[in-house]
Amino acid sequence: MPFTTTTYIRRAERDDLDTVVAWMESADFQHFLYGDPARSPKLVREKIVAMLGRAVGHTMPGGIYLLIDSPALGPVGLLSLQNISWRNRSCSIDLYIGKTEHRSGIIAAGAVYQTLEYCFHELNLHRVSAFIYSFNTASWRILEKTGAKRELILQDHVARDGNLFDLYGYGLLRSEFDAFRAEYHHTASGFSLEAMIETLGRAGTEPDG
Amino acid sequence: MIRGEHSFIRGTEQDDVEALFGLYAPGVLRAGLLDARREPLLVTRDDLRDLLTRKEIADGSFYTVESKTGAIVGFCSIRGLNTDARFAEYGIQFTDTDCYGADLAREVHDFLLDRAFKRLGLRKVIAHALTEETAMVEFLRGKGFMSAGVQREILFSQGTWHHLETLVLNNPSFNASQAVS
Repeated sequence: MPFTTTTYIRRAERDDLDTVVAWMESADFQHFLYGDPARSPKLVREKIVAMLGRAVGHTMPGGIYLLIDSPALGPVGLLSLQNISWRNRSCSIDLYIGKTEHRSGIIAAGAVYQTLEYCFHELNLHRVSAFIYSFNTASWRILEKTGAKRELILQDHVARDGNLFDLYGYGLLRSEFDAFRAEYHHTASGFSLEAMIETLGRAGTEPDG
Repeated sequence: MIRGEHSFIRGTEQDDVEALFGLYAPGVLRAGLLDARREPLLVTRDDLRDLLTRKEIADGSFYTVESKTGAIVGFCSIRGLNTDARFAEYGIQFTDTDCYGADLAREVHDFLLDRAFKRLGLRKVIAHALTEETAMVEFLRGKGFMSAGVQREILFSQGTWHHLETLVLNNPSFNASQAVS
């Protein structure tokens, strides 16, 4: 039976500022991704405003910030495409699910799948990278399920709570994602960008950008 | 200035721009000169002059290597210091790959390890090399660097894809109890 979701991804905008600031200031975000609790809240806010204000429509941005949204749940998480190289047709992705109960579930998996489709089939990228801490098992398992290869293991590379943890570097080539997509197309069809746009259309909502 | 038996090593100066510019010559791919997106930079001499005024360079983490005749033969660095997990990036770039097999390279390596492990007390250093940079990879492996993996098809240049290897050298004398600062 195909999995379906009403969750969709869209560009983050100014109205999302409070939500994004709250996520980025949370200890959880700083544990799994980056940040420092000692940072000035004003500077964090200014940085996010700058990031939300980056043009995307007709330019070639180096980064794109996407909100994972849901009609039923509201904003669920944040996805960022960083270090986009239009020459190498590559980027790295970061995913943060703000609502902890959805972290290892179908919403996170669906958002990753939609993002990879967006990267490969809309932005025409060739490669997507992700750097994930070893203790973030839910994240690297989701990525491995899409066909991403663990290419890099940097031992004792990340300090958290007085301990050192490994960092995993993942790489997913378009050909690998397409192979995964072909194999699981029936199951994952409810996650696709096409399904997302259809769902939004039915709800009378148009996707942003 | 560090006066070695085969080299002189000193902090890079503005006057070294011309030699540094030579490293960016088209057609020669160097992992150490790629940007964060792993793209080669099309630099100008003005860009490099600006680069050399940056704090980390002015503070002395970027060094020029001269042969005993005073000719600039390369550059080296310990940069990107991570104070939490105590590691940094190790970089050596020679104008001629033959230098990797010379005694001069050993002196540069010893100098960088002295900086990284003795002065800064780092746990490890990390180096990057494109798989085509065979002389550098061979040199690093000979010095005990171990591969942490290869990122596939990360750079497109000269009509083909290139892979990037990451190599790590741990500080053998690092005490495990010092693991986190």
